[in-house]
Amino acid sequence: MIINKGRIKAILIKESQDIRKNTNVIYMYLLPIVLTILWERFIPGMPEGFALGFGLMFLVVMAGMYVPSMIIAEEKEKKTIEVLLLSPATPAEVFIGKGLLTFILIIITAIILIFISGNQLANLTLILLATALTSIFSIFLGMMVGLLAQNQMATGVIGLPVYLILLLVPQFAMMGVELMKNIGRFLPTYYYFDLLRLIIEGKGLGEMHLHLSVLFGSILITFFVLLVIYNKRGIE
Amino acid sequence: MIRVENLKKRYGEKVALKGISFKVQPGEIFGLLGPNGAGKTTTIKILTGQLLPDEGEAKIKGKDPLKDREKLRPVMGVVPEQTNLYERLTIGQNLEFFCRLYNCNLQNIDEYLRLVDLLDERDTQVKKLSKGMRQRVLLIRALLHRPEVLFLDEPTSGLDPSSADNIHRLLIRLNMEGLTILLTSHNMEEVDKLCHRVAFLDKGSIVVMGSPEELKLKYTNRKMKVLIKNGQELEERILEMDSEESARLLAEWIQQDRLQAIHSCEPTLADIFVMVTGRDIT
Repeated sequence: MIINKGRIKAILIKESQDIRKNTNVIYMYLLPIVLTILWERFIPGMPEGFALGFGLMFLVVMAGMYVPSMIIAEEKEKKTIEVLLLSPATPAEVFIGKGLLTFILIIITAIILIFISGNQLANLTLILLATALTSIFSIFLGMMVGLLAQNQMATGVIGLPVYLILLLVPQFAMMGVELMKNIGRFLPTYYYFDLLRLIIEGKGLGEMHLHLSVLFGSILITFFVLLVIYNKRGIE
Repeated sequence: MIRVENLKKRYGEKVALKGISFKVQPGEIFGLLGPNGAGKTTTIKILTGQLLPDEGEAKIKGKDPLKDREKLRPVMGVVPEQTNLYERLTIGQNLEFFCRLYNCNLQNIDEYLRLVDLLDERDTQVKKLSKGMRQRVLLIRALLHRPEVLFLDEPTSGLDPSSADNIHRLLIRLNMEGLTILLTSHNMEEVDKLCHRVAFLDKGSIVVMGSPEELKLKYTNRKMKVLIKNGQELEERILEMDSEESARLLAEWIQQDRLQAIHSCEPTLADIFVMVTGRDIT
């Protein structure tokens, strides 16, 4: 697969120009910061790393999926996706270009969250690695929701149940709910949340093989399915 | 440049194209005319690789629009029926994005904006533009990469006469520079003014094809309308073109200095559409 950096850069520049005037999207990055500050500063007795974990999960799932789904659905609704379909940009370039800004903003927001939570700086690299992998999965899944939805409103109908399952099941599982643990084992975000726990507890990479493998596998599967849906939708 | 052979397309039970065939020569402006639902947009979508035909073949420069889309994308410019610009971005940002996608010179932007009198609006957000201005932006967006063939789907639909005229003049100029143009329209005057050849599409079939002049001559009733002075009044008379009596009368009125005007009664393209299909284009 040949990837043209110029076209990816073109899409990235366009997305960054567009996002500055799109307040809905900006809120999605501000919300995890506000929530983490609230949990960290105003809720007493939170276990170490708990606020950061919730903040990152919210960021990765809600911003990671919601933003790309809205961007893609808006392109479909306003028919601007035809500009991309008719351009020399390949599907892979379109998705990398469109997802790159979301990815960069998630990483920047994640760094802010780590700083807000204060004492996790030693784990910065591992937390960012785990967040990066999970956010790639989330972005592709969000794009899929955007492609399947007829318009921006419909992204909520299709996406919300998916977002809630991916967001809440791992958290209930960590609270010890057995059913949620069983369901969670099929969800990449369960492994992400658990990965955060291992990192905060100071565990090494040796104990994270399964988690990282699941995240890598999830990225590959969602990217492949995304391209299939895009190609099918593109010629309909 | 464009070859369409026995193209068929259905949407479920609805037949959009029943096997149409036509060719467009390099440097030609070819018009597909027909009412809404005739199959015009379907034809453009197949030719631009956005839609697969059920049967038949469409080729641009001998290449398949879908299979060879990577080779054909730089050759084609497309102006869609619906304005699909990024509304939050400015005109300049929209066009820069397109230029970068096609790896074409960013300096082309100012050149084309000047051509359509939009250079002063370069930094205006698209959502603040009038329909006519948006249509001009769409048109130059399709031209920035200097395509060889331009597809326009209802290019002046809903525009005021001045904006439409602006676009017509630009299309004629581009065509004189060698651009091949395929446009769809249900505006017969527009097609008459612009197209070298036209095809009337009705219910998925081409019912008539030819140059506007050929069609008008073919479907003319060979009559002429004459205005003559009758004392202080003007009188309108209809004469047969192929009659000796008409020649005699005309000579007589000229000698008597009574002849004021002669108009041939050739049908408009809209009249021909009604004659051929039995119904109005709208």
